[in-house]
Amino acid sequence: MNETSRPSAASCRTVLADGRSATVTATRRPRANRADVKCAVPGAPQVADRMIEVVRLARLTEHRFDSRDQVVLSFDTVPAPQERDWELAAVLADRLVRGAWHCPTVPLALGWSDAWQLGRVDGHDSVAPGTDGKVLLGGEQLPHLGALTGHADPAAAVSAVRAWFPLHSGGINDTLGWVEVSVFPLDAPGQEEEDTIAVPGADAVLQQAVRAALAGARHFDGRGLGRWRSVVRFSETRFQGDSYQLALVMADRLARGRDFVPRGRLVATGTSTAWHAGTVATVEGCAAKAELILQEAARGDRVLLPAAWREQLPAGYEMALRARGASLACIARIGLI
Amino acid sequence: MKLFGKRPDAALAARLALLGGELLAARCDGAAPPAGTAVLVVGADGRTRRATGVSVTTGKGEAAWCWHPGPYAIEIVPFAAAPETGLRIECVIVADEASVEQHRFELFLASEVTARADAVPLPAFAALVQGAVRGALDGGTLELPPCTVLEEWHAFRAGVNELLYTRFGLIVTDCLPVDLGDSVDFAALLRARALALEAVVGPEPETAAPVPAPMAPPDDAAALRRLFLELPALAAQLRVLPLPDGAFAAHRDLLQRMALVSVQVDTMPALALVAPGQALDAARQRGRTSAAIAAVGALDEGWRVLAAMKQSGFAQLTDEVDRVVANLECHVAARRAIPQDYPERREPTL
Repeated sequence: MNETSRPSAASCRTVLADGRSATVTATRRPRANRADVKCAVPGAPQVADRMIEVVRLARLTEHRFDSRDQVVLSFDTVPAPQERDWELAAVLADRLVRGAWHCPTVPLALGWSDAWQLGRVDGHDSVAPGTDGKVLLGGEQLPHLGALTGHADPAAAVSAVRAWFPLHSGGINDTLGWVEVSVFPLDAPGQEEEDTIAVPGADAVLQQAVRAALAGARHFDGRGLGRWRSVVRFSETRFQGDSYQLALVMADRLARGRDFVPRGRLVATGTSTAWHAGTVATVEGCAAKAELILQEAARGDRVLLPAAWREQLPAGYEMALRARGASLACIARIGLI
Repeated sequence: MKLFGKRPDAALAARLALLGGELLAARCDGAAPPAGTAVLVVGADGRTRRATGVSVTTGKGEAAWCWHPGPYAIEIVPFAAAPETGLRIECVIVADEASVEQHRFELFLASEVTARADAVPLPAFAALVQGAVRGALDGGTLELPPCTVLEEWHAFRAGVNELLYTRFGLIVTDCLPVDLGDSVDFAALLRARALALEAVVGPEPETAAPVPAPMAPPDDAAALRRLFLELPALAAQLRVLPLPDGAFAAHRDLLQRMALVSVQVDTMPALALVAPGQALDAARQRGRTSAAIAAVGALDEGWRVLAAMKQSGFAQLTDEVDRVVANLECHVAARRAIPQDYPERREPTL
C-alpha cells in the first residue's frame, strides 16, 4: 500500500446523548514494540478501556494485518460511562487512519454493537438532528461493517448487497447513490418472478422498471428464476433515467452469490434494452459521470461502464483510476468473463 | 513398525490403489509403491530423501510417502460470499526425479502433512488450495473482479499458476470459471442460517453455555513445525529473486530479519513451560498457541507475496514483504513471551 493512500491522522464525529458533538481522532505512528492500540480519554479510563476492546474486536473482521503501526485514539469530549453510541465512530476512525476504509469527508457516525468481532452493528440510541442522509447510523442503515463497501453479512440469513451508481444533476450536487438488493429464499415457488420483487418507497414507474430489469437479468442467469424473494432499496428515489440498472443487476447477482466479489465497492452505470440477453447499452453523461466516479473512487473499488464509453473517456482515465487503487472495465455484456 | 515380518496389509493396498484419483499421497512404509508414483522418505526432523527401488525401507522415525503426479481436477469457491461461483483447476504435481533440489510438493508433504495422517485426500488438499487462492484475493495479490475482461483474466490465470507453483508445487494446466449451482444451493444455505439464528433467539438461553471447542483444535506443534521447515525455504527463494538497481540494501535487511525469525523459531521454548520446572497457566498457553497459528498465517502470506514478486519484481512489493516479515517477528515474539513480558496495566499516556 502506498503511503499516499494512508493519512497519518483521521477523525470521525459522533453525537453524545446530551446533544454535544464529539470527535474521535486517530493518529498513526511507528509501533516500535508498543501496544497496537492506545486510547486516551481524559478522566475516564473505563471508556478508554472499552474503546481499546471495541477497536481490537472490530479489527478481527479485517483480512490485512499490519503490526508496524500503532494507532492512538483520543476523544475530545468525555461521554457518560453508560453511553455506547460512540463505538462506531471509534471503529471508523481506526479504519480511516490505517487506510482500511476511505471517506472523502469527516464522517458522522452513531452506533453500538455487542459483537464487534462479527462485524455486526446492532443499533444506535440517539439521533442527530438536522443531519439526515449525512450520518452513518448503526442498525437498519448500517447493519454490518461490510456494508460500508456494500458486501453481504456472512452471518445474516438475508443476503443484502449494495452497488453504487453516479447521480448527475448538473454540478455541485452530483453524488454516488446506492441501490441495495436483499434476497431471501422463496417459500412458495410458482409465482410470477415480478411479484416476488418489492421496491418500497418507489413510485409505480420505477417499481415496474426495477422488476422488469431484475426478472430479465435472472432469466439470463439461468438459475435465478423462482428461487428468491427480493427487496430493492435506493438511497434516493427522486431521479430520472435508467442508468442505475447495471448497478441494480450486478448487486442482484452478487446478492445471489453468482458473481465474483469486488474487494471494495462496485460502482456501475449502464442500462440495457435486453437484460434477458445480458447486454449492456450506453447511457448519457459520460464526461460528468466519469469525473464524479474518479473523484469518489477508493482502493479496491470496481468501476463498470458501458462498452461505448471506451472511446469517450478522457485520455489516461484508466491509469488515474488505477492510481487510486480502483479497476475499470468497459463491458458490452454481463457474465463471468 | 513391523515386528513380525511382511504381511500383506489390506488397508494399505486399498490406499495405494486410490493414488492418483482420490488420494494425492499415501503412506507406504515397507510396501512396494505402485508404478508411476514417486517415493519420499520424511524423517522426524523434516529432512526428506527420495527413494527408488521395488520396496521402501525406512529407518527409525522415518515415514515413507508415495505420491502420484496426477493429473487432478479440483473445484474451489474463490469467494466465501459467492458460493455458487467456482473455479475448476486442473493441475499436475511437479515430478522431476533428476532435479537435485527439493520440490515444493516434497516440502509440503514434510511440513504440512502431520505424522499421524496416512493419506492426503483430494478434498482436503482442495480446501488448502482454496484457502491459498482466497487469501491472495483478499490480500490483493490476485484480482478477480466482477465482469472480468480478458486481459484481467489472463493476469489472474498467470497469478494463479505462479501462486500454486510457489505454494504447493502444482503446475496448473487449466483453470476455468464454473457454475456450482448443481452442487451448492445458496438459498438452502441462507435457510439454514435463518434456522440457526431462530434457534438462538427462540428458546430461552438457559445457562451461560460453555464456549464450544472448535472442531479440530489447532495445534501449536504443527504450526511450529511448519515455521521451522518453511521459513528457510521461503528465505532461500526470496534470496534468488532478480533485484533491480538500488534494492540490495532492502533485500539484505529483509533476509537478515528472516534469518533472525528462523533462529527464534529454532530455539522456541516449550508450550507449557515458563522456565525449566515452572509451568505456564492455561490461558497463556492458549495465547501462545494462537500466536503460533497467527505466525503460520503470516508465513502463508509470505508465500503469496513471493509468488506475486516472481511476476512483478522485487521493487513493486517491497512494502508488502516488509509488512509480512514484521508480522512474523511480532507473532513469533508473542509465542516466546513469558508473563514477565506483560507489565502491569498503567494509565495510557501519549
